[in-house]
Amino acid sequence: MVIRVLGISGSPHRHGNTETLLDAFLEGAKSAGAEVEKVVLKDLHYSPCRGCNTCHREGKCIVEDEALPLFDTILASDCLGVASPIYSMGITAELKGLIDRAQFIWARKYILKTLYFSDEHIRRHKGIFISTAGLSWDNVFDAAFPAMTAFFNTLGFEYYDNIIANEMDRYGGIRGHPTALSEAREKGAAVVRVIGKLQKPRP
Amino acid sequence: MEIKVLAFAGSPRRGGNSETLLDWVLEAMGSEEGVRIEKFALVEANVNPCRGCNACETLNRCVQRDGMDMLHDRIIGADAIVLAAPIFCMGINAQTKALIDRFQVFRSRKYVLHLPVVPPERKGKRMGVFLSTAGQDWDYVFDAAIPSVKCFFHVIDVRDRDIRYLMVNNVDEKGAILKHPTARTDALRLGHEVISELRKRLSG
Repeated sequence: MVIRVLGISGSPHRHGNTETLLDAFLEGAKSAGAEVEKVVLKDLHYSPCRGCNTCHREGKCIVEDEALPLFDTILASDCLGVASPIYSMGITAELKGLIDRAQFIWARKYILKTLYFSDEHIRRHKGIFISTAGLSWDNVFDAAFPAMTAFFNTLGFEYYDNIIANEMDRYGGIRGHPTALSEAREKGAAVVRVIGKLQKPRP
Repeated sequence: MEIKVLAFAGSPRRGGNSETLLDWVLEAMGSEEGVRIEKFALVEANVNPCRGCNACETLNRCVQRDGMDMLHDRIIGADAIVLAAPIFCMGINAQTKALIDRFQVFRSRKYVLHLPVVPPERKGKRMGVFLSTAGQDWDYVFDAAIPSVKCFFHVIDVRDRDIRYLMVNNVDEKGAILKHPTARTDALRLGHEVISELRKRLSG
């Protein structure tokens, strides 16, 4: 059975540190037999959430742009690798823009109660946050985690792991980092094997 | 002496809870003598996200031409900067995060190029206010917004101890804040407090 891994790159900077780390993760996933796809948010046309709360009544988003088909792809994936660099101690505006748009799925689950993910579904769907930061501070990723937790929870994915590397300024970029890229490859392969074991063979 | 206040309504929802909180603070500030207020709603301000190109580290300006061009000098010239934003999905909303990230040009000026952001005589005389609302009633719902807000103020020479916070949780639907027992009183008090503190600093 095919395991679908979707990488979402939230960096405005093409092929920079974060996207390179995401690529290594996807490479690892592919090497373990997964079908991988990458979406680059900066090339997608979507606007931020308007906070209109229409979805709280209707269960759908009234902003019809390229975010909506992306949510279909997300919900059809078994594993998500969501990548963003740290800007000003948080994720990028592009990624936050997408996360905020998941409100209609949140509304289906918690207000309208028309959508439900079983514990088994959540265990079989895994989300991984991938990030880099220039600064050396250990706490530089901390403020990104709550939004990622909210995103994966809303979408029915278990927040499985982080692939994060700080001190990019010191290492001169991700390629100068001693372990980050190999760790990303290993984690990409490992998560695919774990999901494979959890998936029940379909009749 | 005139006190200049620059305010940002960061919510995409006009007249919602965080903007109402902002309007109360500005009402108190504006009722004081000699205060000039400029308010911008980010949903109309045309501020694009940062491209992460790092050109500001050498150019000392941003390569993007958009709404930030008009805001740049106002940000430097203001005595008080008031940022109001709702919490969406446990973080600051995307439109406000875009503005915060565009302050990278000030960060480069300050920490990379080692140039002054405000003239030396105005250092320590600027204040910042962060106003926020959240639908969730968790008391930690604002925690992840604070580090980004601190970046926003630090790079424009507003020190940690000169930032004031008023954050109200458990207000979700539009207008919910109107029924909050203390939000309006707290907002008005904060507005007066910041102006009287600035008056002291600017005359000193």
